[in-house]
Order: sequence, then structure tokens, then C-alpha cells
Amino acid sequence: MKKINLLMTIFLLGIASISWAQTTVTGKVTDEQNVPLPGATVLEKGTTNGTTTDFSGDFTINVADNATLEISYLGYTTQEIAVQGRTSLSVQLAEDATQLEDVVVVGYGTQKKSDVTGAIASLKSESFNQGVVTNPGQLLQGKLAGVNVTSVSGEPGASQNIIIRGVGSLRSGTTPLFVVDGFVIDNSSIGVASNPLNFINPQDIASIDVLKDASSAAIYGARAANGVIVITTKRGQAGKTEMNLSVSTAFSTVANPMDVFGAAEFRDQVVSVGGLLFDGGGNTDWQDELTQTGISNNVNFSMSGGATDKFSYFVSAGLDDQEGTFDNSTLKRYSGRVNLTQKALKGRFNVDFNLTASRTLNERPDAGATVVDILQLNPTIPLYTNGDPTFLDERLNPLTRNRIYTDEAVSNRILANILPSVEIVKGLTYRLNLGVDYVSTNRDQQQIPYSLLEGLENGFLNTISTINSNTLIENTLTYNYNQGDHNVTVLAGHSYQETMFEQKVLELDGFANNGIEPRYQDQISTEVLPTTLNSIAFKNEQQSFFGRVNYGYKDKYLLTATMRADGSSKFGENNKYGYFPSVALGWNISREDFMPENSVFNNLKLRASWGQTGNQDGIDPKVSLASFLDSKVDNDTYPLDPGANTLDDYPFGTIAARTAFPDLKWEVSTQANVGVDFGMFGNRITGTLDYFNKVVTDVVLFANRIDPIQPTEKFWTNIPDMEIKNAGVEFALDYRGTFSEDFTYNIGGNISYTDNKVVDSQFEVITTGAAQGAGQTGATINGYINNEPIGAFYMKEFLGIGADGLNQFRDVVPDGESLDNDRIVVGSALPDIIYAFYLKFNYKDFDLGFNFNGVSGNKIYNHTAMSLFTRGQLSRSLNTTGFAAEFPNEELSNSNEVSTRYLEDGSYLRLNNATLGYNLDPQIAGLGDWVSNIRFTVTGQNLFVITDYSGFDPEVNTGSETDGIQTFGIDRFTYPSPRTLLLGLNVSF
Amino acid sequence: MKNKILIVALTIGSLLSWNCTDLQEERLDESEFGGQAEIISGAIAPAYGYVSWVWRHTNYYGLQLIAADEAMLPFRGGTDWFDGGKFLASHGHTFTPTNDLIGDGWNELTTNISRTLAAIEVLTPLSEAGDAEATSALHEMRALRAYLNMLMLDSWGLVLRKESSDQLSEVLRTQDAIDYIESELLAVVGDINTSKGPGRITQAAVWGFLARLYLNAAVYRDPYGTPNFTPEDMNLVIQYTDNIINSGGFALSPEYFDLFNDDNNSNAELIFALDQRGVLNREHSRWAYWSIAGSMFPRPEHPSADGTDGPAITTDFYQTWVDAYGAVDPAEADARFYQMNNVIPDAQILDFEGRVQEVATETDDSYFCVDPLEFEMDRGILRGVQWGPRKGDDGAFLTCAGGVRIYPVQQTKGNGPDRDVGYVNHILQIDFSNQGSLHNTGYRVSKYQFSRTSPNGNNFSSVDLVLMRLAEIYLMRAEAKLRNGDAGGALTDVNTVRTSRTARPAQTPEALPSVDLEILFRERGFELYWEGFRRGDQIRFGKYEDPWTDKTDSDPNHRLFPIPQSAVDAASGIDGFLDQNQGY
Repeated sequence: MKKINLLMTIFLLGIASISWAQTTVTGKVTDEQNVPLPGATVLEKGTTNGTTTDFSGDFTINVADNATLEISYLGYTTQEIAVQGRTSLSVQLAEDATQLEDVVVVGYGTQKKSDVTGAIASLKSESFNQGVVTNPGQLLQGKLAGVNVTSVSGEPGASQNIIIRGVGSLRSGTTPLFVVDGFVIDNSSIGVASNPLNFINPQDIASIDVLKDASSAAIYGARAANGVIVITTKRGQAGKTEMNLSVSTAFSTVANPMDVFGAAEFRDQVVSVGGLLFDGGGNTDWQDELTQTGISNNVNFSMSGGATDKFSYFVSAGLDDQEGTFDNSTLKRYSGRVNLTQKALKGRFNVDFNLTASRTLNERPDAGATVVDILQLNPTIPLYTNGDPTFLDERLNPLTRNRIYTDEAVSNRILANILPSVEIVKGLTYRLNLGVDYVSTNRDQQQIPYSLLEGLENGFLNTISTINSNTLIENTLTYNYNQGDHNVTVLAGHSYQETMFEQKVLELDGFANNGIEPRYQDQISTEVLPTTLNSIAFKNEQQSFFGRVNYGYKDKYLLTATMRADGSSKFGENNKYGYFPSVALGWNISREDFMPENSVFNNLKLRASWGQTGNQDGIDPKVSLASFLDSKVDNDTYPLDPGANTLDDYPFGTIAARTAFPDLKWEVSTQANVGVDFGMFGNRITGTLDYFNKVVTDVVLFANRIDPIQPTEKFWTNIPDMEIKNAGVEFALDYRGTFSEDFTYNIGGNISYTDNKVVDSQFEVITTGAAQGAGQTGATINGYINNEPIGAFYMKEFLGIGADGLNQFRDVVPDGESLDNDRIVVGSALPDIIYAFYLKFNYKDFDLGFNFNGVSGNKIYNHTAMSLFTRGQLSRSLNTTGFAAEFPNEELSNSNEVSTRYLEDGSYLRLNNATLGYNLDPQIAGLGDWVSNIRFTVTGQNLFVITDYSGFDPEVNTGSETDGIQTFGIDRFTYPSPRTLLLGLNVSF
Repeated sequence: MKNKILIVALTIGSLLSWNCTDLQEERLDESEFGGQAEIISGAIAPAYGYVSWVWRHTNYYGLQLIAADEAMLPFRGGTDWFDGGKFLASHGHTFTPTNDLIGDGWNELTTNISRTLAAIEVLTPLSEAGDAEATSALHEMRALRAYLNMLMLDSWGLVLRKESSDQLSEVLRTQDAIDYIESELLAVVGDINTSKGPGRITQAAVWGFLARLYLNAAVYRDPYGTPNFTPEDMNLVIQYTDNIINSGGFALSPEYFDLFNDDNNSNAELIFALDQRGVLNREHSRWAYWSIAGSMFPRPEHPSADGTDGPAITTDFYQTWVDAYGAVDPAEADARFYQMNNVIPDAQILDFEGRVQEVATETDDSYFCVDPLEFEMDRGILRGVQWGPRKGDDGAFLTCAGGVRIYPVQQTKGNGPDRDVGYVNHILQIDFSNQGSLHNTGYRVSKYQFSRTSPNGNNFSSVDLVLMRLAEIYLMRAEAKLRNGDAGGALTDVNTVRTSRTARPAQTPEALPSVDLEILFRERGFELYWEGFRRGDQIRFGKYEDPWTDKTDSDPNHRLFPIPQSAVDAASGIDGFLDQNQGY
């Protein structure tokens, strides 16, 4: 309602606006090929009056009759045009060879794109994925070659697996390093179960640069082996003072409900498999009843501007209120940002300041249990009986669960850094980067006492408070020497970062059923239901020294060399520091004299690089130190005193909790890259092709003891000889074309092929992906063996149901027995090929864009089907899909052993998002004096998925890891993915 | 200009030195040493405490039990106890090096040996300095380490000798392994305590370990061949069993099942047992609850205590009882087979036998009433329909005036035709077929009491886990005498054990007229079933390669388990350190 009022006000103000003695000039800005240039700056010379062109390159501006317009666009020569009374202008900007097309953010600085020697993929805000977007990963899904973004579930703000150029570690964490405005984010937990990067308002982000190869990432050294994602937030531009208000409302529904039986068919099926039908007389579609249309609202306001050589600012405030398709599933984020830049001493002293503060409230349902319920509950049972949720024997009605169960995390986060720099002498700049990232999260999980079910009568509250503070101090010196044909930039720096993690887990049981939620109740620990407090605290320090040399000769021959020495308190005396070098060469062929003047190539560059990066993610704190603990629990004590009859009388036992591992060192990723960048036919076609080969050595594992007689069963070690290899090809292509002056289009896409394998492993198999449920103890789904990929599925091959009604598996080791040595690699959870393509059309004031993405060559393990859709379950009047009734002669007690029976093809093609936009000319609406741009959008997200996969969505990863070894592609009770329709309005003034 | 450079340089310099760090890691949530333990008790308590974990059902106990012919654990109803196939493979002797039961047995045993080594390293300097308490504890730890190494030798054919934690273990096999264990036991047997009771290792326990070592030495010396039991070995068995029997410190228990009750710590038959007092979560009761029906609630005072439908005895093992007692029901003939505690009144038996035996036909006469604290399950080998308390829809037990209702136990587990409609009816037939794997199949073993101190049947048990008792000593002596040709002496020892169970005179087994190796083997089965001896007995008596239900393997290599693949993999960097056992 408030929003409508606001709009009404804007309209009324527009109608009531007064005209001054000025001219309204409209125009269109295009390049030399008549392709419109959206976002070009149009400025009335000598004033701060300005605007930017819209999506079609059109602009409208009120200027004095005798004004001169300055029209500028990055990469093009600025033009000045005297208005001279004209009301309509057509401006063609010429490309500027010296002022290059794009600037790329690299580690500790920026570079012209033509000078870049590494493999860096960049995405500007206008190319981001549209729709309900919570975090940066979603912005770039499918956008960049070699960057595989997979949401683990369809929950609002869910975590993602971001895999850049293949998986390079056995242990947890493919997460790249995130650098936000020069601040290196620490990837340790912040106490929320959803994505830790939900705190950044995606609308504040100006660009995302992904450093893929070692030469570009090596400047971040020991944390860069998974790649680096550099996020740059918006800054004010001199001469472009504007405010922007955007509001949107989105509606989300479950995209692909599963095909479980309806009540009538269920009655038939239970009987036909020989089960005992419990008929509750109803007809309930539990999937429909227990999911909702989630309504999400977003309001975002920003203002920005600045004066040349003096200052600029960008300030924003945002509210994002998302609702999932399950009850009690919300994510609310309040965020604010202030980015300032001010200069002094005639531009030699410069201070950048970035501050973002956000408060994220994440309410989560018991999603796993809810998924089981909506799929499994007997559809003949009515949802309600006598107005109350129907009481189900020995299990909770999910409506009741939603009432009594709460899981809510509130996270407050401040990320701020200040970067003063001073040019000491010409070309030599010193810069300091002081920053802090402070997160405080409180998570309450509670269950209100419920007397009707055993085990739930006491109620509980788990309160988890987490403080994660991360401080950074960096000093860099940059020297720039530019004379004649030589262009040299030298960077030297020192960095110190400290991460402090504190967590307190309070577990309280036993609450009164008095109408007060446990989290607001008083509670006293009792002997029967004692309160426990578990504290975790650690501090990780990292100190680094780094340097880089960039050398360019005639802008044709380019060299980049970097070196970083990283030291970490995580490692022992013998390997405190790791050293990570890189070197890269570039050749701008298109600038060679032998290239003809009118070549089809506007740009042709060859790049080659080699380098090393490191990885220390997932290594526990303090592993370099031995630890002994005195314990009276488990099997650590024994009654030595004949009269000992309480724990007080039992002695403490001294236990070796951890053996010291002073030799542990960083995992090293050595990567070579060869690439070519090209632009053809006046840059109508642009593209990039890269080949990479990445080899990880010194693989870190929490491995079994070498000598069986060791006090601790496992120890941290670098596995000798073992290598994890990733090799692949990435290709991206973009084409801009025109049908007519009013009708332009842009198509393009990217495709990446990655071959991943483990070689020279001393282990017969490293299993992970623990199967869950009764009878599944010790059973695993993933297994990594030599010459097969990480993410491989390792299990028995299902041949069918035999004459005896039981499973038949392939007898790989032909001994007539079905044993665990019959397990083989039957596919991989990681796709060979990921691809994406997009289509964009601009027709006058309308634009329409489609983004598709897909994967192929991967498999998904449908653990949900294995757990729920068995013939035995159906016979017990629990609902299933047709999967359970597939084999008519299957015995009810046939097992659901892990096998390829539950392995499915994971290939898919998704229409990730489609956006239809309309730019309303403020002149037409009579708001010309007040508003520079009005844009309406309709965006559909996840509009369709083409896949053979039978679960909710082929984009999954909810497996249980074993011993910290990564698991992929297991779908167990995953929160379903939504399909979303979003209506948006954006007003600039 | 120069000033400016200087100022900046100074600023940078001070910043650099301000945040330069030696990167030493701090301990915030732990200390290097706990600081609460006393040195001697802190050293030995973890070593003793771990033994019950080694003997957990899914560790060493299950490995011994399921691999022998006395028990099997099928994939219950296609839903329970598959666990990666480890129990199926163990039963069929088709184990692979990645079998988890073998891996867990090995890992826990080696961890326990490591804990004894840690204790020995703490105690040795104290002992050398003259601390008598430390010396006494050191003897116990060396004996415990030798005992654990003997378990390694028995199952994997090797011992891991390690005297200092900074050395690599030495792998010893066959005679070298025997010599090492023997020397360790002999080194302490003269000085070790004689008075600390069954919960600790005493001189009698060490004698017992020595007797076991010599009894099995022929097997340990040549694990894959036909054992050659030498008179020297057998004489040593007789010598050490004599020591125990003649010490007068132990007596056979008149009630066989008292050996496995909450108060068994004071039973005079026990020589070595893991002392459990109902204090610790890990004082476990898995030997009691594993085999019992999942639908059975044996403790009306603790609603969450139930069984698990785990292993049952094989038809083959049951047949040995039938062969011994012919037409007489073994429950009548042998007090060790069965003890009736849950007496069903005549009215309920009449009702039960007079109707279709389903829940649907129940009447008010189908249950009787007992005080929850009085209810006690039958013990021994359970056959047929079981009786116990029943839960209502709200999860609480159905009550009656003065107590809980005891009904025939309703089958609530599995996907068999009896589920929810019928009763838990343990039938003899159990095998790996679909029918034979249902939740009710197989006769169950209720040898151990469901501890009254355990709220859930798993934890806080007070029943000591019996690892050595006098009856075994008699049977070892009988076997040694028999192998040395003294059949008369052997018969006396066997009958001493048989006729000692006098608490229920009607079921006291009758004395045997004669004994040979076949009968002695069978007798050990009757006396020591489900106590972790059967696999070793079958190997020693040449029966491990025989076929039994769903076991056809006859490869002598399978007498020893494979070394877990995880251990072989981890050690593979050191050539020849830990080679896989032959045949795997």
C-alpha cells in the first residue's frame, strides 16, 4: 500500500511540474555501427546537469538553449555537441583506441583489459542474472565459462557450490576466495546454515571479476587455489548525480512437484503390491497443502554522484524480504552501504572508504522432515480432523511441526575498509588498506513441548551464538613507469589478516508448556535434563609478502610476474610459509604492423601463463599442536576404586586428543593456461578461448594413521605422490547485431569442458557420501579411486529384480557373491560440460532477454527415492512414486541397498531467467523534469528445466560427507526449487 | 619533498613492525594438558575403559560372533542391519579388506593397544623410581597389552610390538608373536596383584591368558595348516589352569544366568570381566539388546528400551542341542539353554491357544498384569511368541490395576505379513532368503540381562562384560588333558562344569558318560555360546571350513581376517611394513 502511495505521489508531482525557460533535448547515442550505447553519460557542459542513456541508447535532457552537451562513454572518444536550439540529436561515438574498452579488477589494482595476461572472466551489473537473487553466486550462475555454480537446494538464500575449473581438493571446500572492494573475506563459518555471502546486497555490486588461472590468482597466494572472485561495489561518478529507487514483488511456487500417487491411485497401488491399506477416507495432496506461494518483496534506494577530482559517493539502503515455498521459510535482509572517495593535495592524496552493514534474519523450517512428509504421507489421510491437524501415529503432522519447531538465525555484519593512498613522487604510490569484517550471529533452534508424542514432551532450545571477526592490514607500494614504448608497473606489498572465531552452543532441554516459546522462557538445568555449553574459539593469523611486475612493450608484448609468500598460524614450525610464484605472457597480435588496417580482427590477443596457488581451507585449527585432555566420558575412564558408584568417584583419564603435525603444509595447485581473446567485425563478435591444466599436489588429508599403534586414529598429512588433475577448455562468444535502427539483438554463450581425475593415490578407494537410514550404516555413495574423478559414484551395478524377487547386482569380481568388491565407478556427480547461452532483443523501448544454462555428463544419486520410494514402504500405506511399483515381482522386503538403481542422469537445460523490460519515457509520462528513467520489468526465474531427473531439481548437493571428504550429487530430502515470477519497477531521478 | 618521503617511510615502517607476527598459534578453547587427572589413574583408566568399546557388538564382538556358526544376521526384512553387507560377508566368510566390521574391530583394538602403550610410557619411569603403585599398575598394563595383542594374533595372525611411541611398530607373526606375548605375560605373572577382583587383571587372569595362549599355540604357529597340539603346550595349559582351579579363589555359579546379571561383579566364577556400574553412557548393554526383537520392550520402567532384531542363532547351532538331548527339549535338559522368568498365567495361555493368534482377536483375557519393576524377560535361547508390555498410540505403556499389561508382543517391525497384525514369533528357520530374513526369524539369545540401570537398553549398564570365567578354565584343562590322552581327567572336568548349575535342579545337565573332541567342542558351545569363543573353537577343532547355513566357503586362508584396506593403504608408504594376509 505504501508503495502505491509513493508512486501516486510521483505521478502527481509529475503532472504538477512547472517548465522553466529551457529546451528539452532528446537523442540517441550509438557507436559507429549504429548499435545503441546504453549507459552513456550526457552532461550539460559546465554544470552538474546530466543523464545517462537508457537501454536503447536514448536520452532526454532539459538544457539551456545555448548549452553544449558532453557525451561520453567508456572506451569511446568524448564528443561535444552544441545544442543550438535543436530538440533532437543523433550522436555517433567513435571508438577510442587509447582509452580502452574495459577495466578489469585484478588483485591489488585494476588493469586495462587489453593489458591483462591472465584468464579473468568479468561480469558487469547489467549482465547479472535477474530476479530474486540473494547472493553473488546467483548473479553469475551460468554467466562465465569455467565457473560452475550449483545451489544445494531451493531454500531462500541457500548455499552454493562454486567450482572454478574443477575440484582440486579432497576435503571440504571448493569455495573460492571472495574479495570485496579489496577486503579478503574469510570463509570460516559465521554461524548461519545458509550462504554466508547473503549479507551483500546484490544491487550494490557493480562488477564481479573471476580470477581463474594461476597467474591472476597467485597474488592471493595460499588461499587462491579454488579461484578468486573479486566483487566491486558501485561508486559515484563525477557529473552523474542520481537517485535510484527500485521495488519488486515476486511470487514463488514449487517448480516441479514430484509425481507421488494421488489418493485414488494410492488405494489401488497399496493393494496391488500386497500391502495393507490404511484408508483415512480423505484425499490430500500433501505437496500442495504444505507448500505455498512465497511472496518476496524488495525495495532498494541508492543515491550517488560526485565532482571531478574532488569526491564521489554512493549510498544505498535495501530491504529484501524473501519467502520460500515452505512455511516458516524466510530470509530478510536490511542492508546499507556508504562508499566514499575524496581527494586532496591536488589529487595526490586519495581516500576510498567502503562500509556496508546488514542484518539478515533467516528462518528455516525443518526442511528434511517436511520433504519426507509431503512425499510420504498417506494421501487418504485428511489434513485436518475436527479442525485440528490430524493426529498421526508415532509421527508429527507437519502442520504441528511447523507450529512447534523454530530455527531462526539473526546475523549482523559490518564490512568496512578505508584505503588512503598517497603519491609520494610521480609514479610511486603508497596505499594502506585497513579493514574489518565483523559478524555476530545468534541462532535459536527450539521445539515447544508437545505431550502427545514420545520424545517431544520436554521441548528444547539450542542457542548458538557466533562471533567472527576478521581484521586486515595491508600496505602496498606501486610504482608506475611509462616512457615511450615501455610501460612498467611494480607492486610490492605486505598483508596481515587475523580471523577470530568464537562460538557458544547452549543446549537446554525441558521447558514448561505454558504458551511461551522456549527461547523466551526461564529454564533451570536438572540432573535428568542437564544444560550443556560447548565453546569453540580459535584465532587464525596470516601474514603475507607479495610483489608483481607488469611490463608492456608497445602495448603489444606483455609480461606479468608475481610472487607471494604466505605464512599461516595454522601450520607448524617446519612449514609456516608457502611460496607461490606465477608468470604470464601476452601478445596483442591485432596491434602488430603486419595485421592489415581493415582486418576482420579488431582485437586479437594470445595469452599464456603458469603459476602456483595454495589451499588451506578445511584444515582444522591447532593441528600443528599436540593436545591431551582429561576426560571422564565415553571409554576414557574406568572404575578403579571398588566403591566408585557415581561419576565423581571415577578417575579422569588422560587421552591424546591430537597428535602434533608440524610438517603439514599447503596444498599446491600448479596451473598452466593458454588463451586467446578476440574481437571481430568491429567488435560485433567478441570471444575468449582458454585451455588450462591444473594439477594439485601435497593433497591434504585427515588420513588414517600409518602405524596402527598410534594414539589418535587419524592425523593430518600431505599425501605423497597423489595428484588431482583438472584439464579443460573454456569458450565464450558474444555477438551484437541489428535488424534495424530500432531493433537490435545480442546473442552469446559459453561452454566449458573439464576433465577431472585422481592419479597416483595410494588408497584403493577413498569413500564418502554416507548413505543415511536404517540398515545403511557404513554404506557410502561416492568413492574416489585412481584415474577417476572426484565426485565419482562408486557402487554396485543394479541389473534388475531376479526371479526370487530380490536385487540382482553385477558380479564384478566373479565369485558368485554380491560383495563390496563388486563396487565400481559408475559415473560422476560433476558434469563434463557446463554451458550457458543468452538471447537479448531491444526494440524501441522494449527489451527481452533469455538466459539458459545447462550441464551434461553428470549423474545424480536419488537418495530420496532410495529412502522413501520402496515397495515395502508403499505396502505400509506410505506414499511413493511409481518407482516403488516398477518391478511387479519385487519382494516387499527387498533391500534398498546403495546401487545404480537410484542413480539417474543429471543433465539438464534450464531457462534460468527471462526478463521483459519496458522503458517508459518520462517525457511521455509528463515526468521529464523529475525523473530521468522509468523501467518496468517482468522476470521469470527457473521457467523450465529439461531433464530426465525424477527428483525436484537436478541441481542438488545434500550428501553427508565422511571424514571431511567432499561429496557431490546426492539428493536427499532436498528443499524443492522454486519457479518465480517477479514484477519490478525502477525509477531514476 | 624529502621530508614527505621520510614521513611516509616512517609511517610505513611503523605499520609494518606493528603488525609483523611470528604466526604462533594460540590455544583458546583447550589446554595442552588437561590438568585434572592423577598420573597413575589417568594413565590406566583409559586403557581399561576402552576394552568394552573393543568388545562392542559392531566391533570385535560382532566380528567373532557372526563369523562363527553360532549366529547369523541377515538383512532383516530388507530394511535393517545391512550396513554395507558387513554382516552377510562376515557370516559367509566372504569378507573383503574393506569390510567395516573388520575395520572397526581392528581400529578399536589397535587404539586400545596404543592406550596401554601410553600408560606404560607414563608408568615405567615412576616404577623405576620405586613407586610401588606405579609398578603394580605397570604390570596390569603390560598384561592388558599382551591380552589385546593376543586378540590381534587370534584374528589377524599378527601382533604389533611397540615399546616406545616414537618407534614404528614391529609386526610379529607365528612363533615370534607367541614368544612376545608369552614373555610379556611371564614377565609380570609373578608380581602382579592377586586381589583386585575381576574388574582388573589379576594373577589368575594372567594365568588364564597363558593357558589360552598355549591352548591355541598350535593354531597361532601354523594358522593355515592342521594344528599340531604338542604335549608341552598342553602340559602348560594344565599347569596354569591348575593354578587357577587350585587357588580356591573361584567357584562355579549355581545359576548359570546369574553370571550375566546386573550384580555379576560379585559372582565368584568371574576371573576377568569389564566392570560396569551404570555410571557411564558407554557402559553398554549391546550384548543384551542386540539379538532381542525390535518390538520387545523388556523394561516397563524405561519405555525407550527395546531390542534391535539383530543376530539369531543358526539352525546348525540349534541342532547341536537337539543332537545332544534327543527327544528332550533342551530347555528342560540344560539350565544353560533357557531360564523362564516371565511366567504366563494359565488363563492367558488358554486364551492364547484358543484363538487365532493375531492382535485382532484379543480379549480382556489376552493380557495379564505385572508390576513394572517385577517384569523380567526370559533368558537363554528364546523361541516362539514372546510376551511383554505394549505401547498405546501415545507411546506410553498400556497399564492395568497395579501395573502394566503383558501381552504377546505385537510385531511392529519390518515389512513381513505379521507386521502390526501378528505377534513376534521367533521361528527356528533363519537364512539369507527373503523369507528367512524377516524380522521374526531365528531363535534369539537373551544371555545377558537387560540392565535395570540402563534407561534404554544400550547405555548405563551395570552388567559386567564377562571375558574369562572359571568354567572356561575347566574346559581348557579338559581339552588339554584330552589332547594329551587323559580322557578320564577330561571327563571329570567337563562334568564338574555341567553338574555345577544346580540352582534349578530339574534342568541341571546330567553328567556325561564319556568325552571325545566332538563332545568337548559341543560342550564348549553349550557353556560359552555367544561369549566370543566360537570362532576360535571352530578353528582349533578343525571345523571352520565346514559348511553351515548360507556359508559354503572352505578356504583355510579365511581363518584369519584380512587386514583392513584402510590400514594397508595408510601403511603402504613403508615397504613391507604391513602386508596383507595371504588369500586376500
